[in-house]
Amino acid sequence: MKNSKRISKIITYAALIIGSVIMIFPFVWMILTSSKTVAESMQIPPTIFPKHLLAENFTDALKSLPFVNMYANTILMILFRVIFAVLFSSMAGYAFAKLKFKGKNILFSIVLMQMMLPSQIFIIPQYQMVAKLGLANTVAALVFPGLVSAFGTFFLRQAYLAIPEEIGEAAYLDGCNQWQTFTKIMFPLTRSSVAALTVFTAVFAYSDLMWPLVVNSDLKMMTLSSGLATLRGQFSTNFPVLMAGSLLAMLPMVILYLFFQKQFIEGIAMTGSK
Amino acid sequence: MKKGKISTAARREQAWGYLMIAPTIIGLIVLNVWPFIQTIYASFCKHLGFGHYKFVGLENYVSMFQDTDFWRATGNTLIFCVLTVPVGIFISLLVAILLNAKVKFKGGFRTIFFLPMVCAPAAVTMVWRWIFNSEYGILNQIFGSHIAWITDPKVALISCAIVAVWSSIGYDAVLLLSGLQNISKSYYEAASIDGASKITQFFKITLPMVSPTLFVTMIMRLMTSLKVYDLIYMMVEETNPALTSVQSLIYLFYRESFVAGSRGLGSAIAVWTVLIIGVATVFQFIGQKKWVNYEV
Amino acid sequence: MRKISRMTAVTLSLLLLLSLTGCKASDGKTHLTFQIWDVYQRPGMQAMCDAYTAQHPDVVIDVQATSWGEYWTKLEAAAESSTLPDIFWMHTNQLLYYADFGMLADVTHLYDDVSDDYYEEHFSEISRSNASGSDGKLYGVPKDKDNGHLVYNKEMFDAAGVGYPNDDWTWDDLVSASEKIYKTTGKYGFMAYNDDQLGYWPFVYQAGGYILNDDRTKAGYTQPASVKGIEFYVGMQDCDWCPTQTYFTETTPATAFFSQVGAMYMEGNWNLPQLMENYPEMRGKWDIAKLPKCPDPVSGDGRATMSNGLCYSTGAHGKQLEAALDVIKFFGTEEAQRIQGENGAAIPAYLGAEETWRNAFDAYDEKLDLDIIFEQFDYAVQAVYNSASPVWKSQVLDQLTKVYSGDQDLMTGLEHMQKIVDTETARKLAED
Repeated sequence: MKNSKRISKIITYAALIIGSVIMIFPFVWMILTSSKTVAESMQIPPTIFPKHLLAENFTDALKSLPFVNMYANTILMILFRVIFAVLFSSMAGYAFAKLKFKGKNILFSIVLMQMMLPSQIFIIPQYQMVAKLGLANTVAALVFPGLVSAFGTFFLRQAYLAIPEEIGEAAYLDGCNQWQTFTKIMFPLTRSSVAALTVFTAVFAYSDLMWPLVVNSDLKMMTLSSGLATLRGQFSTNFPVLMAGSLLAMLPMVILYLFFQKQFIEGIAMTGSK
Repeated sequence: MKKGKISTAARREQAWGYLMIAPTIIGLIVLNVWPFIQTIYASFCKHLGFGHYKFVGLENYVSMFQDTDFWRATGNTLIFCVLTVPVGIFISLLVAILLNAKVKFKGGFRTIFFLPMVCAPAAVTMVWRWIFNSEYGILNQIFGSHIAWITDPKVALISCAIVAVWSSIGYDAVLLLSGLQNISKSYYEAASIDGASKITQFFKITLPMVSPTLFVTMIMRLMTSLKVYDLIYMMVEETNPALTSVQSLIYLFYRESFVAGSRGLGSAIAVWTVLIIGVATVFQFIGQKKWVNYEV
Repeated sequence: MRKISRMTAVTLSLLLLLSLTGCKASDGKTHLTFQIWDVYQRPGMQAMCDAYTAQHPDVVIDVQATSWGEYWTKLEAAAESSTLPDIFWMHTNQLLYYADFGMLADVTHLYDDVSDDYYEEHFSEISRSNASGSDGKLYGVPKDKDNGHLVYNKEMFDAAGVGYPNDDWTWDDLVSASEKIYKTTGKYGFMAYNDDQLGYWPFVYQAGGYILNDDRTKAGYTQPASVKGIEFYVGMQDCDWCPTQTYFTETTPATAFFSQVGAMYMEGNWNLPQLMENYPEMRGKWDIAKLPKCPDPVSGDGRATMSNGLCYSTGAHGKQLEAALDVIKFFGTEEAQRIQGENGAAIPAYLGAEETWRNAFDAYDEKLDLDIIFEQFDYAVQAVYNSASPVWKSQVLDQLTKVYSGDQDLMTGLEHMQKIVDTETARKLAED
């Protein structure tokens, strides 16, 4: 018994370590490339380690892009997109999972349909809406496509479906109305799902580069990913500077993740005792 | 009296339902459904330029169905989906379970698995291109092989699938992990007392309990893989001899709509893609009744 | 707890409001936006704008660089919602689409107060043609010009005992030098890459053929002279000394060249400043030369290179049209064009200001034979395009890729290419 436990532990660690190596590879590559010269980064056969450690690429990246603005824009965009996604998706997810109303299936199929549509077909129509509202070149424009989240709705609906009916019924008998049942009883139970949706929405918003580039022109109104994309020339790209810039851009995301990481663990503690 | 009360309660519940879905549904209609209706209309039109269209009936669909590249793209997309979704979901579930297990440095491992999601796409592309490089790539060096991973039409789609699976693990594992965390520990404790093995526990507790989250992750992954574009675009350039063997539907759509300016034909391809995804989703929803467990 | 969440909500809405209103300027000045797609040219563009605003303190110009990939999606979306930037770069591939649809302001008479023939006096025929719509009117002020040339590794030529490429070089010399270098050093010779402007196009024109006829209505892919040019170019891939196209998918010719794997390739002059800067250890080891000529052209003297050029345009219905026109008028003056050249952004289109571009290389002790670039303009051919280019360009490339990979033979491929260009062009013409 003890032996088999040890074996399973070894297998677990081995799998995690091998997986980590595979997953961390591009990140290590970014760090190595950010200290190379352009010539080294393009060389064949490729070199793995840079000859010298260059801090120059970082200063170049900081000089060529308004990082302070880009950090602020990215954080604001993520913040609002997450708030909207969590708020509206929780409401809709709860309603679709727990409430009875006419036309529910048809309305839910609209949610599903959005997920089927290729995002490229939205770019021009949504740009026109933003332009008509006079919002081009603002943070609001960055948030715009993320006002509602079909995926979030579907994802949280599943989370609410997994909550036993009795919990809702008990709340109802205690005299809670629908809204109170939702905010006081049900919403807290989906805590780890909400944390996952937050990370998911944030990463999605962070890596979106097409939309910010199309809707905002001013470099001071760009997000980190889209601002970095402007470092690509038409014919050539300075990869070491791009990598240095990308490393700087990753910082807030990693911090955000570490923060939610904690939420995840607390989430277990909460639901674990239910 | 009693009957009236019930129907009042039901009516109130219905009103709450509409109220709570209203922001989402209105937003989706304005932001997404309306543009899609415009796309459907455009698929029956010729694009004259700058959003001006002329109705031409089925012309775009006729030329689309006659195009061999279009059928190859349809095939490529379906094969890509089959190659990536089952493997990707399986690995992601495994990773999520490992990350949920009692291990040291859990936070560290989780952060590492999260990193690829926020790495610069350019870095990801550079690394994989180096791994796959036929002369200097690490893959051929390890296996002592001479496979042209990116340029051989027979292999290129598999290479793209490997990258796709790799880059989806982070996302899917985050979602599945939350599903695993919603499972109360008391179930496992009870099962341990009953003497159930880990494997029995997995099939009797973990899988059924995580199935609602697994289902939504699968649906999302299926849809995403049928809409694949960025990844193939990054790995395979226009002059790559393997292009027609890896070109996906949305890649073709993008080239028609945004490069060639034929938005009518592009829209027809988009509509076709949505149809395929719709059919696949319907099957998934029918199938879920067999394995997704909503009763806890 | 309640209080905190309410305060958070208020703060957040304030933040959103702030971000909404944050960027509206109200200093009474005219604010113009100037959009470009190449970040490397930003300093040059900024210097020109600074020169303009020094004379017009009431104007502020914001230079916005975006990436090439998104530029056109962005510009098209902006055009559809009448929110084009005040000033923007136009590419020959796209100009006709925008101009023929009435999206661009007609600038034919912009310099009438200076001279009725300003454009003819100061810009070459190719430059003017690059900025003209189908109606022959000018929809942009010529910005720059370029051409393709040979890049070679001096050390490899020395090692193989082959003389450097010179003005008299022909295709035969290219082949024999490549063979010799490959035999003696084991390095690749001329790296012939699947491309049009920096690939088979100049070889077609050297042989006396053409891609499009003079009025750009019909393709010339199946003309004997064109076939000769393409056959030679594509045929190089079968030689030991030339890498295959599969190789190039993983390694671009420039990467291979600067990793000292190959001795020659075709490059555009616009890349030279970056190549000098990025490869300090290679400086002095390489140089540039004219493209070799066809030894037995079907017609002509066997010389050709492709030349392209951009122009500055403004939207036809811009809200600040007058101000924008005044700025692009300045951009077309000798003063502005010299600034562009001196900053090394590109070779100015303005005749007589071209050589200012040499400044881009002042910082380096190792010199390139830049004269050949200016001399090549004498016989440069305008890069090929017509109003249907966006539709046929990538399809033609697909066909050539299939020829390279052996999926179809050259003649079948050329017939397909001919048919694609002819049908798409005819269809486009029928619409207008």
